Amino acid sequence: MRIACFALALFATLPAFAQDIAVRIRSARPFGYFVGDLIHARVDVSSPANATLSRASLPKAGALSGSLDLRDVELHETSENGARLWRLDLTYQNFYVALDVREIEIPGFDLTLLTAAGAETVKVPAWRVGVSPLREITPQKQEEATDYMRPDGSAAFVDEATPRHFAIGAGAAALLALILVARDRAWPPFQMRKARVFSALANEFSAQRIASGGVDFGALTQSVHRALDRANGATLLSADLPAFLLRRPEFAPLRDDFERFFAASKERFFSGQQSSNDFRAEQLAQFVSALARLERSG
Amino acid sequence: MNDTFPIVEKLADWRERALEFEREIQKAVLGQARVIRLVTICIFARGHVLIEGDVGVGKTTLLRSVSRALGGDFVRVEGTVDMMPSDLLYHTYLGDDGRPRVDPAELLRLAETLPVFFFNEINRARPQVHSLLLRLMAERSVFAFNRVHHFPFLNVFADRNMVEREETFELPAAARDRFFMEIPMATPDDEDARRRLVFDPAYYDTETLLERVKPGSLDYRKIPEVARAIQTEVNSSEALERYVLNLWRALVKPNSAGVSLPDVDVGSLIKGGASPRALAALARAARVRAWLEGRDYLIPEDVRDVFIEVMAHRIFVDPIHALRGDDIVKSLCHAAFDATPVP
Repeated sequence: MRIACFALALFATLPAFAQDIAVRIRSARPFGYFVGDLIHARVDVSSPANATLSRASLPKAGALSGSLDLRDVELHETSENGARLWRLDLTYQNFYVALDVREIEIPGFDLTLLTAAGAETVKVPAWRVGVSPLREITPQKQEEATDYMRPDGSAAFVDEATPRHFAIGAGAAALLALILVARDRAWPPFQMRKARVFSALANEFSAQRIASGGVDFGALTQSVHRALDRANGATLLSADLPAFLLRRPEFAPLRDDFERFFAASKERFFSGQQSSNDFRAEQLAQFVSALARLERSG
Repeated sequence: MNDTFPIVEKLADWRERALEFEREIQKAVLGQARVIRLVTICIFARGHVLIEGDVGVGKTTLLRSVSRALGGDFVRVEGTVDMMPSDLLYHTYLGDDGRPRVDPAELLRLAETLPVFFFNEINRARPQVHSLLLRLMAERSVFAFNRVHHFPFLNVFADRNMVEREETFELPAAARDRFFMEIPMATPDDEDARRRLVFDPAYYDTETLLERVKPGSLDYRKIPEVARAIQTEVNSSEALERYVLNLWRALVKPNSAGVSLPDVDVGSLIKGGASPRALAALARAARVRAWLEGRDYLIPEDVRDVFIEVMAHRIFVDPIHALRGDDIVKSLCHAAFDATPVP
């Protein structure tokens, strides 16, 4: 759109090294630029259809001199009357502080076209634009020295309420997220959550396929004892059972199972008597599953 | 073995008699079921007892009841600072003819029929007296009148004065280790028992009270034989023995067993005690407890039930903790039980 407004073509078709190659430079206007203004220019390079423009040869954005920068380079490829057209949109910025109306030079550059015959260099020539001062050199005489100065600009009013509300909201959201993460990771103070010892044991039993038999009943009973010890916080003997169930009332519905378990353990480890392991192992697995269920609900 | 066989056959009957014995004692001694159970264990384990209790809680009544229920004699002496060993053995007096006489003292005279010898306030007596008592306790014999006197049925019950410190001689560690149990005897917590002790006239007169106890519910002359049979017949499994050994290690090397106490470096807490004799006494007491509970095998509860009374007075802590009394040892025992897994 911007280029479509161009009113003046600075240069007509220029002869190039090859007969079919032409370069045109167009600009919005050739004068009237102040310090800081952007200067838009379009460079059209016509070439044979089989020619290719080497992108490596395009001018690089950056400072061209102490008072002129090349800000932007855009390349568009199109066709025109059967020839290939390379359209180069260049944006310069003028930093020359002019004290009078004068022309400055926009430096030329070289482009490389790759054809079937080989690489050809296309020269884009330098061109000139007119720049103007912002004000007259000697201002009209003022009575007060301060009259030569522009008044300070007033500070823009910034409403603090919205950013403050946003900050408070974001802080609350961050705190909530931190709490959720801490709970998930069992960071303090959430590390005090009771360990689910029976659930872990039930999973272990499940992995070992206890109910299918063929396991060491003594070792299983000992692992249940150790889990009970952990749940109690100290070694749990059968005589401690009433006090334990008072402290952990969630297990009270299993009082009969506890008593059967301790009786079986006592018989196995202290009386020297043995009985059917498989049947007991199945009961043991059910006991641990029930403990795990109550532990999760407790 | 042939001698003990008939007793072994009748151990169940003897258990009934032991429970009957406890019930008889409870007729005279109110609200002390736990103390009576421990005394019964000591009698059937043939162990000497150090009773620790406040004045007037019924220690003498208890021991006289025990003596009456056992059917034997009862001797009581009071420890004093000027007591000498000879005072226990000899009775010196002037005869009718005005000449000095030396006869056996009551202890020596009743040697053959004495199941209960109560030494009150043992720490008021001098170490010389303690020495004689240790010999009497360890060997159940003394040397007097140029011969050895045997006390085949003797159980020594001693009481410590825990109130005063003046003119007292604390029992040395070796002497405390000779006592099978140290049984604390306190005023009953039960409100009804307290009310009856204060307002029921039956408890004002000890002699009347003792008449409630049926004499000879146990035959004290059979006790040594029954005690041997109990130790033979009550079994300990490998798991139980491993448990007791682990407890032992937790006591003498608490750090290695993960035992800890708040504000105390347990690594330097124990300076001595917990001897093999102590652990053997623990096993003996636990076996009697199992027998009284109607089992012929030991369970961890048997060990734990008698542990403090058998072990606590045999564990000696660093002097820096001694002023805290026995509480720190009891705390260590409880921590050892909490940290020692079973089975």
